Amino acid sequence: MKALGKGSVASLVRIGLMIAWWALWACAAFVGLAAVAYSVVLAMVANGAIDAAELQNSDGFQIGAFHINFDQPGAATWPIAIPSLLTVAVMIAGALIIVWRLRRLFDSFSSGEPFRRENAAHLRVIWITMVAVELARYFLTASITGLVVAFGEAQGVGVREVSLSVDPSTWGSILILIVLAEVFREGARLKEEQELTI
Amino acid sequence: MAIRVTLDRILLERRMSLTDLSDKVGVTLANLSILKTGKAKAIRFSTLNALCRVLECQPGELLSFEPSDDDALEETADQAAE
Repeated sequence: MKALGKGSVASLVRIGLMIAWWALWACAAFVGLAAVAYSVVLAMVANGAIDAAELQNSDGFQIGAFHINFDQPGAATWPIAIPSLLTVAVMIAGALIIVWRLRRLFDSFSSGEPFRRENAAHLRVIWITMVAVELARYFLTASITGLVVAFGEAQGVGVREVSLSVDPSTWGSILILIVLAEVFREGARLKEEQELTI
Repeated sequence: MAIRVTLDRILLERRMSLTDLSDKVGVTLANLSILKTGKAKAIRFSTLNALCRVLECQPGELLSFEPSDDDALEETADQAAE
């Protein structure tokens, strides 16, 4: 099976990316709905319509057909919940940007023309997005830890150990993508030069 | 680019059309047009050979060097890259 062109490995990956694209949108919609539902519950807790302590019982709280309970202590306060939701939102947004750019790349690979100037730009956007998502993850994780330290005690939440998880494979992938983006830029330049050699 | 292709002048002197030249040298009309309008990045020796044979001229008659500011900038960029 050939790697590029119609009926190639690239076209199979292209189909996989299309499925991933719609799956990510489904995740985004789910997270959006969850955020709205969570906001409503938090507003009800703030109003006193729901007792926060009752939410953390194993029985939870019943509103009509909805049964609500939190198994995490401190989950009924917004300062701890918002950065967690933001982390998920940032990761989904980053994944959407990356998958969109990968789809454009694989469209080009499936048509059998890998060395185009825009492909270098797609790879550049992918590694910049990966750097942004990774840095946002560090920042938001630090924010959550800071908020737990600041407000968690009243909710019965404590910080046992503070550590920063740095994933070397992510940074390795970013470095590889930086090099690949330059390879594609150079490839596109050489192809253009070859096309204009008479 | 400081190198200019003077193909149009030679064709005029020889009273030859670009289509005739294309048929005789075996280079497509589109490629000859790229060459004539100065959009070409490079020319193969085989193409130059065919053009000189059909037009009965020397390579120096087909090409001329006209220094420009852009050319100086390109040279500086190349030196910086090295």
